[in-house]
Amino acid sequence: MSRLRLGRWLVAIPMSLLALATIYPLLFTANVAMKTRRDYILDRFGLTDALRFENISTAWNSVGMGRYFINSLFVVTVSVLLLLLFGSMAGFALSQLRFRGSSALFLGCLAGLFIPFQVIMVPLARIMADTALIDTYPGLILVYVAQFLPFTVFLMTSYYKGIPPEIVDAARIDGSTVYGVYRRIMLPLGTPALLSVGILNALFCWNDVLMALVMMPSADHRTLMIGVTSLRGQYSDNIPTFASGVLIAAIPVLLVYLFLQRQIADGVAAGSTKG
Amino acid sequence: MPMGNTQPSVRPASAGRAGGAAVTPAAHRHGTRPRRTRGGLGAERYAPYILVLPAVLIIVLLRLYPLLLGVNFSFTGDGAQNGTAVGFGNYRELFGDPLFRTALSNVGLLVLLLPVAVAIPGLLATFIYLRVPGHRFYRSVYFFPAVLSPVIVGAIFNLLLAFDGPLNAVLGSFGVGPVDWLGDPDIAMFMVAGVHIWATFGMALVVFLAGFATLDAALLDAARVDGATLRQVVWHVIIPALSRTIQFVFVTTMIGMLTSMFGLLFVMTSGGPEGSTYLPEFYIWKQQGQMNRPALASAASTILFMIMLVVGLLQIKLLERSGKED
Repeated sequence: MSRLRLGRWLVAIPMSLLALATIYPLLFTANVAMKTRRDYILDRFGLTDALRFENISTAWNSVGMGRYFINSLFVVTVSVLLLLLFGSMAGFALSQLRFRGSSALFLGCLAGLFIPFQVIMVPLARIMADTALIDTYPGLILVYVAQFLPFTVFLMTSYYKGIPPEIVDAARIDGSTVYGVYRRIMLPLGTPALLSVGILNALFCWNDVLMALVMMPSADHRTLMIGVTSLRGQYSDNIPTFASGVLIAAIPVLLVYLFLQRQIADGVAAGSTKG
Repeated sequence: MPMGNTQPSVRPASAGRAGGAAVTPAAHRHGTRPRRTRGGLGAERYAPYILVLPAVLIIVLLRLYPLLLGVNFSFTGDGAQNGTAVGFGNYRELFGDPLFRTALSNVGLLVLLLPVAVAIPGLLATFIYLRVPGHRFYRSVYFFPAVLSPVIVGAIFNLLLAFDGPLNAVLGSFGVGPVDWLGDPDIAMFMVAGVHIWATFGMALVVFLAGFATLDAALLDAARVDGATLRQVVWHVIIPALSRTIQFVFVTTMIGMLTSMFGLLFVMTSGGPEGSTYLPEFYIWKQQGQMNRPALASAASTILFMIMLVVGLLQIKLLERSGKED
């Protein structure tokens, strides 16, 4: 027994080192963001002597990260709301209602899961250009919704399958329409799944770079992640400002992670065990 | 349709299983007529179709249709030949392009790294499942980089791996000469792949832990009572019991390597040095956006899609067979 316990502590040492290696890069970045340029050149690793937010405000204002931040926030919010609406509607119908062609439609939605954006990038960009949706917010939102909808429909369908059909029966007997059942029963009952899927989708959209790069060529339409990529060329000699820009993009994700880690992990786990 | 019910097509799934007769008398007893309440018969009958319509429309128009369009497009020409059929011309050009060949051989490198990328989170998940001291803490810390954008991860490692950056400063103090981590064609791809594994192993870890949650604890207890070592437990209990999860992680990790490294490549190396860090997705983007060769890019897209299909099918087949042998 004591040998086993010793073994556990021995395993804990490399695991702790790995944990350190996992968070250190971000801590390093946060520390650098607080330093002056001179401090960084003289001492890269030393703890900053003061909490300076000048670099952050430079990145936010002059570099334009503030504007990109708002762009991202808007695009992500609308995309996630649409994903949850369409995903829960389809999930409810595909899991609780019987109708001709339902399994074919479900398979069609699933097929979307196996088509990555890279594979359809060229024709999709052309479709968006032909419909004058390229370089517009609705265009990017539509591309995000199309990208993450198969996954959302899939998860919502498997979640709603777990709800006893008697609940729907009872509501129908009481005179509720299908739409009423959706609005008054399925949406509230679906809250845990909607929260989980919503957070995952928000992370996916927030973190995306390729779709935004292809669909939003104009500089003032940039999302935050495109803003981060543009830092490299412009601020490669001003590391603290560069680090501040990176930090601005990472902080919202860090906050979401700290408070909603459980839901994120549940969403990932649901996607794997139900597959 | 089993009966002359007034609700032939729209009916809860259970009603079909239990037989609609169970529903109808109940409706009469309550004296309600569910179908007439709101919207009328027509709206109710088509309700399921209306509910799935937005999702199906978006997926068909912006996922499935573009796939066909792209394959079709890959057989046409670029520039002056725009729209005319060129047969396999784009594919011939593709396989003659050293950059695309590098992209394919880098995929081969990633395939070789795949067992490592699966084994690391698998082993860590095993330790966390066996409750090493601080297992909750490890779980949350390891998972964190997986939620960060590749762009953020890439930017941070750009900083750390710069030629005059912190890593070389540390190595220099041990007398190890500066290494051009991202500027040396022999090293850069390994660095980018390493950073990708660093950033995503937490995702696989969470999937493994979800698999462990379904594991029968009695099996482990029995093995331990019989005096099995940790190695024996892993080989003879955990791996067979989790074969489905392992299979899933293999496939998703490979798909992740093929489709979610663009951000890292874009920020860390831009495909360089000397084109040594090209991957198919970067090649597609480059040809489409920068080189104005959309048809050539479409051909590369089609190849990427085929690689993904082969990878998925092959791995499922392989693991199915090894599962049967056990």
